Amino acid sequence: MRLNERSQMPLLAGITLRYALTYAALMLLGALFLIPFLWMLSVSLQDAQGMFALPFRWIPDRPRWENYGTALSAVPFGRYLFNTSVITASVLALTLFSCTLVAYGFARLRFPGRDMLFAVCIATMMLPGQVTMIPLYMAYARLGWVDTYLPLIVPSLFGSPFYIFLLRQFFLTIPREYDEAALLDGAGRLRIYWSIVLPLARPAVATVTLFCFIGTWNDFFGPLIYLNSPEKATLTLGLNMLKSQVIGSGSVQWHILMAASVLVMLPNIIVFFIAQKQFIRGIQIGGLRG
Amino acid sequence: MRRTLEGYLFVSPWLAGFILLTAGPMIASLYISGTSWTMLSPPVWVGAQNYTRLLGDDHRFGLSLMNTLTYVALAVPLGLAVSLLLALLLNRRVPGRGLFRTLFFLPSITNLVAVSLLWMWVLNPEYGLLNGALRMAGIDGPLWFQSEQWAKPALVLMSLWGTGGTMIVFLAALQGIPGELYEAAELDGAGTLGKFVHITLPMISPAFLFNLIVGIIGCSQVFTQAYVMTGSAQPGTEGGPNNATLFVVLYLYKKAFQEFSMGYAASIAWVLFFLILVATVLQMKLARRWVFYEAEQQ
Amino acid sequence: MTPRAQWLAAAALVLASCGTGDRKTEVEYNCPANALEIEVLQREIARFEADSGIRIRLNPFSGQDKLYAMMAAGKAPDIFYTNSTMRDRMAAEGRILDLRTVSKGDSLPGRLWPHVIRNGTSADGGWYSLGNWEFTCGVYYRKDLFREAGLNPPDSSWTWDDMVSLARKLTRPARADGRGGRYGIFIGSHFVEALELMTGADLPGEMLTLRIPAESADLYRRYVALMDEGIMPDLLRMQAMGMQPAQLLQNGKVAMLVEAVPNQSLIEAMTEPWGVAPLPRFPGKKPAYFRSASGGLSLSASTRDPGAAWKALKWIVTEASTYQPNPVLRDVDFTGGWEKRYPQLLGSGFRQVWDLSLEHNGGDPRFFVRFSSWTSGPILERLQPLLDQVWARKKPVDSLLAAVPAINSEVRRELAATSATMTMKPEFREKIEQALKEMHDHSAF
Repeated sequence: MRLNERSQMPLLAGITLRYALTYAALMLLGALFLIPFLWMLSVSLQDAQGMFALPFRWIPDRPRWENYGTALSAVPFGRYLFNTSVITASVLALTLFSCTLVAYGFARLRFPGRDMLFAVCIATMMLPGQVTMIPLYMAYARLGWVDTYLPLIVPSLFGSPFYIFLLRQFFLTIPREYDEAALLDGAGRLRIYWSIVLPLARPAVATVTLFCFIGTWNDFFGPLIYLNSPEKATLTLGLNMLKSQVIGSGSVQWHILMAASVLVMLPNIIVFFIAQKQFIRGIQIGGLRG
Repeated sequence: MRRTLEGYLFVSPWLAGFILLTAGPMIASLYISGTSWTMLSPPVWVGAQNYTRLLGDDHRFGLSLMNTLTYVALAVPLGLAVSLLLALLLNRRVPGRGLFRTLFFLPSITNLVAVSLLWMWVLNPEYGLLNGALRMAGIDGPLWFQSEQWAKPALVLMSLWGTGGTMIVFLAALQGIPGELYEAAELDGAGTLGKFVHITLPMISPAFLFNLIVGIIGCSQVFTQAYVMTGSAQPGTEGGPNNATLFVVLYLYKKAFQEFSMGYAASIAWVLFFLILVATVLQMKLARRWVFYEAEQQ
Repeated sequence: MTPRAQWLAAAALVLASCGTGDRKTEVEYNCPANALEIEVLQREIARFEADSGIRIRLNPFSGQDKLYAMMAAGKAPDIFYTNSTMRDRMAAEGRILDLRTVSKGDSLPGRLWPHVIRNGTSADGGWYSLGNWEFTCGVYYRKDLFREAGLNPPDSSWTWDDMVSLARKLTRPARADGRGGRYGIFIGSHFVEALELMTGADLPGEMLTLRIPAESADLYRRYVALMDEGIMPDLLRMQAMGMQPAQLLQNGKVAMLVEAVPNQSLIEAMTEPWGVAPLPRFPGKKPAYFRSASGGLSLSASTRDPGAAWKALKWIVTEASTYQPNPVLRDVDFTGGWEKRYPQLLGSGFRQVWDLSLEHNGGDPRFFVRFSSWTSGPILERLQPLLDQVWARKKPVDSLLAAVPAINSEVRRELAATSATMTMKPEFREKIEQALKEMHDHSAF
């Protein structure tokens, strides 16, 4: 793309200044976003009263790493990690499969009723879930799916309007000539979807992967409603078990809760770090156009 | 014919899900909105009574609507502006940007309990970070969540901090802009602003529309933050000081699950649905003027 | 017998023993979603199962949304927590069992304090919930700060005016940098009603309408005056600070604090010397000490084996160690048990506060108890914003009194509309209709 950047010596000074400015802005904003996380980390390494210390002490005299051990043993962490991973992996695979197909249909095919259907798809996001929750629960209960992972996983087979909408917007930015050229070459729709649209929309697919992973990993309400048995619980339910108090008494162990929160966050951070690299496009559109 | 079949085949997963999973509960809730339903006994049909009460006689609903509108009007444009700005910064080819991206996204992956505790601390009127900073500037900061005037702005502030998702969508769109478009523009003598207005904005307009619509839909249904941040002081105070954060969905939640009025709650939900629908259709219509879809070009 | 036949025989036996049963008697208990409690319960249910043949299946969650979804789907847990707002509605619509019928011949009712059964009784006289916890409240104080100021700690006969004058003497202005100040007392707004009881105000439970007796209004004025005078920290500011009350006392930010007794988090957080005194009295008024009565465990009407469910419920309240020693039981040494667990309670005044609350039991006047299931929501959503304003000292107490008639007439209209379409047992319907009629007759207000 900018292969000869290095040879453009006269521009270097300007670029350096821009870098400096960009960095200054990034550092400043970055600090704003980082402070809260540091606070969590700091609380997680203090004792139960640390959170309330006035003024707040950022660096504890003696970091209590054992809080992490306590957090790990307070709930069956390993089991919840496994449960959460199973759910997240299934939802992720199904969502990517269904949403990309549906979005392709909405974005790049022309058929009667398409815009109407798409409008309905968007509209389903507009009704607050609080009022469809009970009818939906009753339906799942009738199917015998309550206290199984099915109500959490199966819906992703049908795609989610949020991801479909997102992918559609990105698929629409890919020039149509590619499809037409491929069609002339005798490629089928599925092939165009798979070898042209998906690779070109890699940043969008990476975004959906990321959102879906994080959304499922951190989902609290779904598991809360549909899972009953403690051994089927997910990490977020586990975190909640650390938070709520014993009836009539008991103090919340905020430091342990924070340690557990940090642990639950870690996989998200790792996935994000990997996913964000995918934003850099693999294939050059310009190379194909021509 | 073949094209029609192909089209329906591609969207069939969603269509099947809509028919099997989504349509049923939606229709059920529409029916419920015409009943009195405590959830304990079968619903009793009351016709339009819930709607006439809601629209004619419930000033708290009006209040919740105004609260929601204010929140949407603040949170959506500010959210878009902040996240676009962050995305533009992160789109620069600077070393370590992966780290910065992660940093800006951190709030979006922090669990709600930690986030709410954190903001209680940041916005603590005496010892909090923000009022501390304000004090250094000689300003006596407000009570934030306990202040009738500042509870909504406090929630907006929280939402801005958690704007990582919107930012990522912008970033993905920015990454998708072919570099040679800029190079061509540079050859034509376009400046930074010119490139931004004539290339960047049109190219990310589909993503912008997405963020706008999803933002409106999401913010109109603001619930969890308000429930957690302003209702945790003691039971019954959900809605904040003098109902400053009584948003529509919070109000319907209270009706449904604290007052056993699921029928009434459903009618609130459908009125909200209709309002969001109108707003979205309006945006979609306006969008034809400013959104640029490469694939729709002839 | 072949293994197959043995298996069949065993299955037949199990079937026969369960009556309705397709499997072993199982009782689903919606326990609090608390890691510690789940762990302890899981260990102990195994023992209970071995003794009784009843398996308790834990379903830990909190939140009425899930409970109502389960009920609507006909899958209610057999045992779940109800507060008095929910209890009446569920009782009226026949969704929970009258414990009188399932506990016939059982020794447990005799072991409970009489008020525990009374608190779980609804308008039709049925006993619908078994309280699983109770507490009272008192004034915690820092012994060292009292000593420093040369003051005697409060005793059981102290009055509101004594409290105010002590608070005055204990208040210290802040240093120039805004720190280091101390307030004499802090009373959270949710404890105002506990003090209302002490004023002799007539606060019957299960009221369908809002009524603010003159004594209550007077107390509200006194309460606001504490803030006006600067001997109590500003309430909104305190709520915004999100501090736990124990921290206020521990940090010396306040010298006296009204809080629940016993209060585990406070006991655990305090390292400075502290004591606890009964609530202050009002001259000429009979003391009536707050005792919470807001909820308990109920049995679902859909439970398949009510006998087993009752046994499980009884075990949870009387045996499961997370609730022991349980204050609802007459024959256990509650104070002794707590003193053993927390030796710092000895000589703190805890025992005196507790015993007084049993002797002069004022009950629980809190909103959701005071207003019946049918009107507490409609009343509170109108009253709470006004209260917020009064506590924030933006409006006078009189504005509250002035708003009462309008609130009541709106509540009456809402009650009439909802009760007309509600399915409920006749005993409850009669009560509501009678009340509506009375409210109509008094609609001059």
